[in-house]
Amino acid sequence: MSYVDAGYAIALATLFVYAVTLVLRRRRWERALQMSEPAGESESAPAGSEQS
Amino acid sequence: MSAQAMTRRPRWLTVVGVLGVIAMGFTVWLGLWITPPDQFQGNLARLLYIHPAIATVALYWVGLVAAGGSLLYLWPRTRSLFWDRLAAASVEVGAVFAALTLVTGAIWGRPVWGVWWTWDARLTSTALLLLLEIGYLALRRVPAEPAIRARRCAVAALLIAIDIPIVHFSVDWWNTLHQGGTFIDPGFQIHASPSMSWTFLLGFIAFTLVFVWLLGVRYQVEVLQDAVGDQELEVSLSERWSEDTDLVGAAASAPTPGPGGGTS
Repeated sequence: MSYVDAGYAIALATLFVYAVTLVLRRRRWERALQMSEPAGESESAPAGSEQS
Repeated sequence: MSAQAMTRRPRWLTVVGVLGVIAMGFTVWLGLWITPPDQFQGNLARLLYIHPAIATVALYWVGLVAAGGSLLYLWPRTRSLFWDRLAAASVEVGAVFAALTLVTGAIWGRPVWGVWWTWDARLTSTALLLLLEIGYLALRRVPAEPAIRARRCAVAALLIAIDIPIVHFSVDWWNTLHQGGTFIDPGFQIHASPSMSWTFLLGFIAFTLVFVWLLGVRYQVEVLQDAVGDQELEVSLSERWSEDTDLVGAAASAPTPGPGGGTS
């Protein structure tokens, strides 16, 4: 493998792995938030009532 | 804010992500297969389609967001946890880009300079930037009230930002192995063929789009982390409150001791 191939492979692979871990982290925290929310609160809140 | 609102994913972020992937694909295709080899560096010049673009994100975009967000948090009229979270997200993404700057630079430097690493001013100040960013992330994990943590981190981010002009001007201030502008000189004259120049520009756009997408997702993680922390605190407080209420209720309904210390 040449230096050029190695440089591209490392850069793209690192960014890809980091992006995947970020998406997984976001999913995990979304689940944690839904589980920690008091029962019935998410159902009672009308959809689109609040903007992030 | 409800969980539904917090887990909503903005459409613009998805669009930026898709555009980033497309631009990155074109950069790789043009950089590896279409552009001609350089007159002096041969195929090694192909690394320059990604290394300066990664370094630009690590240095300028991250510095702008982290220092700007921290300043806006510290300024009383614009104080909001939004700025603190944005700065924190930026520093984490910046640490990844700073590490990639050093790695891709070393891969280019080994065949061109003959060394993987040298204690050159540009390389050393970039490595220092990475270490400072790791320090910031460690500081952020120290348990504290959100406002105290935000103030502490904002000051740290501003201290890190001092290193950015040092990295930028290091090639002018010191006699370094790292060269100055390769494609564009200080007079903005481009020293490359059109296909190389367009690929170079596309690389900057691609890595900037990827940075914006990563920043957006990392910001969402920061918001969710804080929300879960708040929810858990509320649950703990309500449990404690109900325990206290039960104790007060039990004490009120307990039989009153008689004059001799016994129950009446």
